[in-house]
Amino acid sequence: MTRGAPPRWAYWIALPVLIALWAGVAVLLQSTLLPSPLAVLATLAEAAGSGELWRHLGVTLYRVVVSFLLAMALGTLLGVWMGRSALANAVLDPVLVLFLNLPALVTIILLYVWLGLVEPAAILAVVINKVPNVAVTVREGARSLDGKLEQMARVYRFSGWQRCWHVWTPQLFPYLMAATRGGLALIWKIVLVVELLGRSEGIGFQLHMAFQVFDVATILAYSLAFIAVVQLIELGLLQPIERRASRWRRTEVSGA
Amino acid sequence: MPWPGGGHPILGQVRATVKPGDRICLLGASGVGKTTLLNALVGLDPQVPPEAVRLQAGLRLGYLFQEHRLLPWRTLFQNLALVGANRERSAQLLAKVGLTGYGHYRPDQLSLGMARRAALARCLAVVPDVLLLDEPFASLDRPRADELRQLICGLLDRRPQMAMICVTHDARDAHQLANQLWYLSGRPAQLTRESLTAGTLSPAPKVPH
Repeated sequence: MTRGAPPRWAYWIALPVLIALWAGVAVLLQSTLLPSPLAVLATLAEAAGSGELWRHLGVTLYRVVVSFLLAMALGTLLGVWMGRSALANAVLDPVLVLFLNLPALVTIILLYVWLGLVEPAAILAVVINKVPNVAVTVREGARSLDGKLEQMARVYRFSGWQRCWHVWTPQLFPYLMAATRGGLALIWKIVLVVELLGRSEGIGFQLHMAFQVFDVATILAYSLAFIAVVQLIELGLLQPIERRASRWRRTEVSGA
Repeated sequence: MPWPGGGHPILGQVRATVKPGDRICLLGASGVGKTTLLNALVGLDPQVPPEAVRLQAGLRLGYLFQEHRLLPWRTLFQNLALVGANRERSAQLLAKVGLTGYGHYRPDQLSLGMARRAALARCLAVVPDVLLLDEPFASLDRPRADELRQLICGLLDRRPQMAMICVTHDARDAHQLANQLWYLSGRPAQLTRESLTAGTLSPAPKVPH
């Protein structure tokens, strides 16, 4: 029962063991259905060299970013509204529950049927799947807004913008970050399904093509490439933002 | 947008006016509704209909809450800027409350007494016509409380037109700061008033309805 940070090497055990296991089984089976890690790397290098990887990665990333931004914006507005107004919450909550439980696949199929196999249908399907999750998370945040600071803002006649940016946003920030984290993970998975079902470029489309010919090496190569990109976003973008925004918390602890 | 308020009626019918220069100490047992009355006066109590309180148009209020209620994620300078004080004026105000050099600190980096003084600086930043103080000396140790009392006395002397309503349960505060006492008692609470103006003996306190 020791507290404090675990040793650094602790992070470097599980993944290498997993890869070693994969390599071992691949060597034993000698099957194209389970290529070795090296074979996957070679496929990855080849796809990168031909430019195919970057093209499909770019398209998928673009879809992820657009639908993510839309879903966050809509979900945040909805969440704040429902968290602050009991009436809005009562009216909209059943709809929210319905959409939370609607399988992503159903939304995608219906939108493709109704709108055709077009880009707006693809983006909209992802957005519809994500908005309820964002709204539920942000609603929790909006409900826990500090009423005492709200009174202060009223007495001192804060403008609407001052209230939003200086009083609410810092309080909602942890919830927005949670929604962002969960959002990215969920959205890129849904984007792949959307691409698989009705688009002719993107990682999902490539996975579809590889599936047709049981090309497991390509499937793994593209998946790994995208996982790497999402990890980069987490490390290079989200964590720095979080550190910056929660500076005031850390000084509070050290100053206490 | 209603925030959850109290459940049952705390205040009965209360009728009173506050004029410029009035220095009122609002006394009463804890839980009797002193803070509720203060909140009602500035329109923060959702249970009190807005027409029950008439505020002169454009009246500026400085409210020192029991907690500092500064934004914990903003520095003192940023907190003061939000009520319209520029950097120079903020520095002056902080100096006035004895916090020279603390402009770049966040409220939670300060002690309770310092944070309360910083909040007082924010009250002054709006150049208030009415200064509302909710238990300004509560949970401060004796020297800090005396210091703050001196500070507030000085502020009041410098701006004789400013009205003050100070919630307290300490009669000592009342005699140092006030020229009027308001007592709140009972449930629903009723208000009794008494003037302390030097020289003029006030008529016996009436129970207003």
